[in-house]
Amino acid sequence: MAPVLPGNLEGRPPPSEASPLQRRIDAAEPGAVVEVEQGRYRGDLYLDRSIRLVGRGRPTLIGSGAGSVVRVRGPDVLVEGFDIDGMAGGDLAADSSGVHVAAPGVTIRNCRIGNTLFGIYLRESPGARIEGNVIRGIPGREAGEKGSGIHIWNTTGFAFVGNDIADSRDGIYVQNASGGLVRGNRARRLRYGLHYMNSDDNLFEENVFEQSAAGAVLMFSKRIQFRRNSFLHNRGFASVGLLFKDLSDSVAEDNLIADNARGIFLEGSSRNLFRRNVLAQSDTAIVLYGSSSENRFEGNAFIGNLSPLALYARRTDTKFDGNYWSDNDGPDLDGDGRSDRPYTLGSLFDHLRGNLSAADLMAQSPAALALAAAERAFPVLEAIQVADASPLARPPSLPDVPAPSAERRRLDPWGLAAALILVGGGLAVLGVGRRRGREAA
Amino acid sequence: MSTPRTSLVLLVARQELLLAARSRWTQIFAAVFAVLALGVSASGYILSGGHGFQDFARTSASLVQLVTLVVPLAALLMGVMALAPERGTAELLFSQPIARRQILVGKLLGLLAALAAAEAVGFGLAGLVVFQNTGEDGAVGYALLVLGSLLLTAVFLSLAALIAAGAVGRKRARALAVALVVWFVAVLLIDLVALGVASLLPSTAASRLLILSVLLNPASAMRTGSLLAIEGTAAFGSGSLALLRFTRGTGGAAVLVTFSLVAWTVLPTLAAIRRLSRADL
Repeated sequence: MAPVLPGNLEGRPPPSEASPLQRRIDAAEPGAVVEVEQGRYRGDLYLDRSIRLVGRGRPTLIGSGAGSVVRVRGPDVLVEGFDIDGMAGGDLAADSSGVHVAAPGVTIRNCRIGNTLFGIYLRESPGARIEGNVIRGIPGREAGEKGSGIHIWNTTGFAFVGNDIADSRDGIYVQNASGGLVRGNRARRLRYGLHYMNSDDNLFEENVFEQSAAGAVLMFSKRIQFRRNSFLHNRGFASVGLLFKDLSDSVAEDNLIADNARGIFLEGSSRNLFRRNVLAQSDTAIVLYGSSSENRFEGNAFIGNLSPLALYARRTDTKFDGNYWSDNDGPDLDGDGRSDRPYTLGSLFDHLRGNLSAADLMAQSPAALALAAAERAFPVLEAIQVADASPLARPPSLPDVPAPSAERRRLDPWGLAAALILVGGGLAVLGVGRRRGREAA
Repeated sequence: MSTPRTSLVLLVARQELLLAARSRWTQIFAAVFAVLALGVSASGYILSGGHGFQDFARTSASLVQLVTLVVPLAALLMGVMALAPERGTAELLFSQPIARRQILVGKLLGLLAALAAAEAVGFGLAGLVVFQNTGEDGAVGYALLVLGSLLLTAVFLSLAALIAAGAVGRKRARALAVALVVWFVAVLLIDLVALGVASLLPSTAASRLLILSVLLNPASAMRTGSLLAIEGTAAFGSGSLALLRFTRGTGGAAVLVTFSLVAWTVLPTLAAIRRLSRADL
């Protein structure tokens, strides 16, 4: 997971690979609008001046297969309304993309980009705006043989809004790029939904990262803000919803982190704040390494996780305060909304399963519950004490957290009918005995 | 003796079903199981933490926990009570012109039918709640849960027969105490011991021990099998993957779980027949 450096910058395509539209672009004045009507245009495009290239009726740009389909080298270019087919061509070392940008102030909007190594590659392109695009990688290829959906390198100030990315290597790759806004994107079936290196001060809002090896992997950066994002269904063997490595002073608020093998993973990461997130249905909600310090978890809801915490350290100064834990059965006798005693994260059983994955088979079994009860009743073992000082007694209302999608849930008439038959049949059998009994008596 | 053997068995089974259905204990079990199952399923949907996560899989998982605790207990206690009759009753029954094994098998079938009926009421009521709001493949998981519960009933009835076969003519209280111990061992102790021993072993051996204990113990086999069927590998995280590697896939796991449950039904019954046929009344 070393930083990915940009490759050689692709120049003007040779005439044999150029698009028939190239002549119109070369003839356009800077600032002109070039409208392209419906049709299929084969070959690559080189935009070296600030024009607005607008597709009417979704024309298709089909790449030559030799490199990037659209190469933007002039400032303030707009590309809008195209279908772009990369013909699975080009070269990873040359960053071959659907749209390759190396210029400031560029906007790519409402394009459908498919069959390309990279979807959109932004190389030193401050002020880039990538909006409402649909990006698909090359089907059937291994992650290592593909590029990212949106790749940005060495840029200050950018906005990725409402894009839909799937089947690439990483969904959004951010490296040495700061001051950005990433909002309302959807990334799935990838290696990492978001892969993030050496970039400070970026804001992520209302994105969905799902069904990948990891929802988001953030490294070597500071002051990131995550709000109202969803990290869902990242279910592989070592999958994580949200992974921080050497990431500090960041805030994650009102996110939904559900159905992941591991919810949040913190290594070498300090002074981060996790507030009002929902962490649900993970095998382990939080994985915390001793190299992390002074993180805070406040007002989060931990619901239905097999285990709340896996701690790889002798102690931790990470603080848990006022979170809700669905398996906390501590009473709230004084009615202040907080349990009357601290909630201890992790039990003897959790310690066992930390060392032995097959022990998961007995998670939530009567044996595991008995171990937990025995541990509370006879605290003979000095367990590593990580506790929530004043856990919430009831699930908090978190109106800003994205609601889990309610799709696929409906009334099942056949199930209901079968249930009725079960009730009727059972009662009939039991009733026969009673009637016969009375006759006999 | 012109009546064929199977119909003799069925005759005994029907008689036992009538007796069991009339029994207060069956009715109490049916009512308690129905209330618990209904409670689990209703709370699964209503008290879902406000986030809708306690959906079908989690609700069914809670039902699995309920079944693994309650069903073995009911089967053992009611089995022993019905199969270890007082001295006079036993003498009268075994003096009839029917083989002892036919009586035993018939009684077991009758008890199984009665308990299955009692459980069906509970599963049906819970199903009425669950199927108002379910996913696409919910019905299959639920059917497997009901089937698993039926197999578990058979397993522990069979064990009850083995316990009761040794108690003919003797005091039933002792047989009931043995039944309670068997329940405790199967539901709790085996898993606890396996976990304890596993924590002392190197990880490969420990992993193998835990997987074997989960497959060999019928209560755990049913719990593991049902949860894997309902939730997929998410049920036990990486533990699921360890199990599936060991069984070489879901097919292997299904075969082993079924084999374990069937073996635990057949073998104790055979042992009980042997013991009963040698018993001096």
